[in-house]
Amino acid sequence: MKRITIVAAAFLIAAAAFAAWGTAAPGGKVAALAGPTAKPKKPPAKPKLPALPSDVRKRKKWLIGVKCDFSPFGFIDVRGNHDGYDVQVAQRFASLAFGSKKKVDFTCVTTPSRIPTLMSGRVDIIVSTLTWTQARSEQIDFSIPYYSAVGRLLVPNNSSLGISSLGGKTIVTTRGAIYATWTSNCFKNSTLLQVDSPALAVAAVKDGRADTFMFDDAFLLGVATQDATLRLTGDKFLNVPWGIGIRKGDVAMNRWVNAALRYMKKKDEFVKILRANAPARLVPGFLDNVPRPKNTFAYPVGKDVASICP
Amino acid sequence: MTLAASFDWQFIWEHLPDFWTGLKATLKVAAIGIVASLVIGIVLGAARAHKIPILSWVAAIYVEVIRNTPILVQIFFIAGGLTQIPGHPIRLEPFTIAWLSVTIWGGAYNTENFRAGFEAVPWRYREAGLALGFSRLATFVNITLPIGARIAMPSSINTYVSVLKNTSLLTAIGFAEVTDTAYSLDSQSFKPSEVYFALGATYLLVVWTLSAFLRFIERRLAIPETR
Amino acid sequence: MPDWVEPVAHYMIHQGLPTTLRLAAYAVVGSTLIGVLLGTLLTIRFRPLQALIRVYVEVWRGLPILITIFIVYFALPTAPVIHHRFGAIAGAAIGLILWGSAQVAEATRGAVQSIPKEQHEAAAALGFGWIGRHRSVILPQALRRLLPPLVSLLANIIQNTTIASLIGVTELLATGQRSIERLQLTPPGDSHAFAIYAALLVAFFCISFPLTRLAIYLERRLV
Repeated sequence: MKRITIVAAAFLIAAAAFAAWGTAAPGGKVAALAGPTAKPKKPPAKPKLPALPSDVRKRKKWLIGVKCDFSPFGFIDVRGNHDGYDVQVAQRFASLAFGSKKKVDFTCVTTPSRIPTLMSGRVDIIVSTLTWTQARSEQIDFSIPYYSAVGRLLVPNNSSLGISSLGGKTIVTTRGAIYATWTSNCFKNSTLLQVDSPALAVAAVKDGRADTFMFDDAFLLGVATQDATLRLTGDKFLNVPWGIGIRKGDVAMNRWVNAALRYMKKKDEFVKILRANAPARLVPGFLDNVPRPKNTFAYPVGKDVASICP
Repeated sequence: MTLAASFDWQFIWEHLPDFWTGLKATLKVAAIGIVASLVIGIVLGAARAHKIPILSWVAAIYVEVIRNTPILVQIFFIAGGLTQIPGHPIRLEPFTIAWLSVTIWGGAYNTENFRAGFEAVPWRYREAGLALGFSRLATFVNITLPIGARIAMPSSINTYVSVLKNTSLLTAIGFAEVTDTAYSLDSQSFKPSEVYFALGATYLLVVWTLSAFLRFIERRLAIPETR
Repeated sequence: MPDWVEPVAHYMIHQGLPTTLRLAAYAVVGSTLIGVLLGTLLTIRFRPLQALIRVYVEVWRGLPILITIFIVYFALPTAPVIHHRFGAIAGAAIGLILWGSAQVAEATRGAVQSIPKEQHEAAAALGFGWIGRHRSVILPQALRRLLPPLVSLLANIIQNTTIASLIGVTELLATGQRSIERLQLTPPGDSHAFAIYAALLVAFFCISFPLTRLAIYLERRLV
């Protein structure tokens, strides 16, 4: 009896130690890697934003869902930190709300898990490459647009595929993406392969399991730039803006997020974020995809874009 | 109660055909996995129990590696890792990756089950066989195998049912079995309660049926004195 | 050591591994506490209670762990009656605990029922009530027999934490995959997937193998 008490006690102490180590480590790591942030000499002008939603205000930090596998919008950098266009928008929210861009905890989401994650309340908002669709807008609220993507096709170099020759071919995209819906609606004699991450889809094209990867231009361009055996076809389609996902009816959140986005648009901050996340020579090609003081993006309300076939 | 009222039964009904398509894929992969792991279990289990040189060692390593690593990592290794072997990339079809990974997993566990079963056959029976002039192989086939396989049945039934349950993880590589169907359905329809209730009910139905069927076979095959 | 190894190893060991171990710790502790309780209750000859616990055990053992986690993480929060929010780690932990406690309950029932009747009779003769004799005589012996399967369960749960990567928990497997994705998009574009997945297999093997050996040793020594 004494022996098992000792073994059982050791067992529980070890379990508690692991739990403690697990809870301590990530926090410690973030602290250790905090680099100096360049602060301008003059204090930044305080934007007049509406009141923060009470949950966020009480918690004194944001809980935001972002992609972790979708470069250059949400990914993990070499030091293990979240980075990307979406991530930096989220960090800007943190600095606007609390004065520091560290006041945000990120949760990794994937295309199929982001809306359930939002609806369950475990994150405040999702900044996760969320394209507006009629169906999604019935489940959640969308902020005003913060990026506008265009759909492209990624094919192997020697392929002569185009949007008009997809019959009988295999199209791969991420599960639950607008491209999946569009393919099921408009390319009924093509095979749709759905995977959980963009990287798996690229692998599918390279391995020959799919003929083309249908996806957002920013990600695909990064891949094609990187990989000399792949290229983008000239086809462009499904130009629909992205919004930040907010729980339906959360008036305070809607108000705050839209005010923040309008402020950032006025100050042309989205271009800065774009430049920080795209290679310099690609930036000019994407300047029309980000909100700027003089442009407007609108959601195609009333049109079910995913059912409009070429 | 509002629970029953707000639950969209109509939705489940409409999508039963999709579930059925996914279920067919699940059952196909599980069937291959179960039969293959039965064969591997008997062959390698015998090798281990009889300590056949080299084969026994290889089997031991195979069993220990597979039983001590997560099946999900094994699946990703086969699907993603093998395509990156420097110089000799191995690229497999999703269906191949599917049945191969569940077979490799099931085969390892079953090897252990059959090894234990064969080793539990009382030595005097094998001795009797050899004394009667049976060769080692004939002794195995006529004595050790029938008795040992029955001893191994409960644990090997466990393994076969687990093989069926493990097919759910194949959604991670985009293989369109029933979990994958449900996951995609949820991400497009936003009805998680309905979808996962239907998915859970499907699995329980299939798993309990398989369990009951295998245990029925076990009872039918039991040695008369032990019934 | 090639350049790419150090940041990947650092990320995996300092962010992935603690999360895996933390999740496993929650799951093991939860499964043990709930499972032992349920398993002991299963031995009481009260049909309705036995039936209720039996349903619990058969359901959570019959469902694949991934489906249990999907139900807890995706379906439960939006279900008409229950409205609860958990983080991804909590959701995965609850899913693992549902499965693990069902396993432990079954094992506990077996362990308690394997204690010879004489022990119950002797304790009753000495004046112990039901709770008293379970606390002082039956359970201590049953728990000894439970230790080897519990150690095996720990090894199993550590391996099953990888399923949590499918709902976004950044545990060891997920950190490996994020690294592969990052390397794929950085010059020269070699994702080193083979090496990273092989390293994951080795890492899990090194954690699990000693535990399974320990379980075998305990089985010989304690039972």
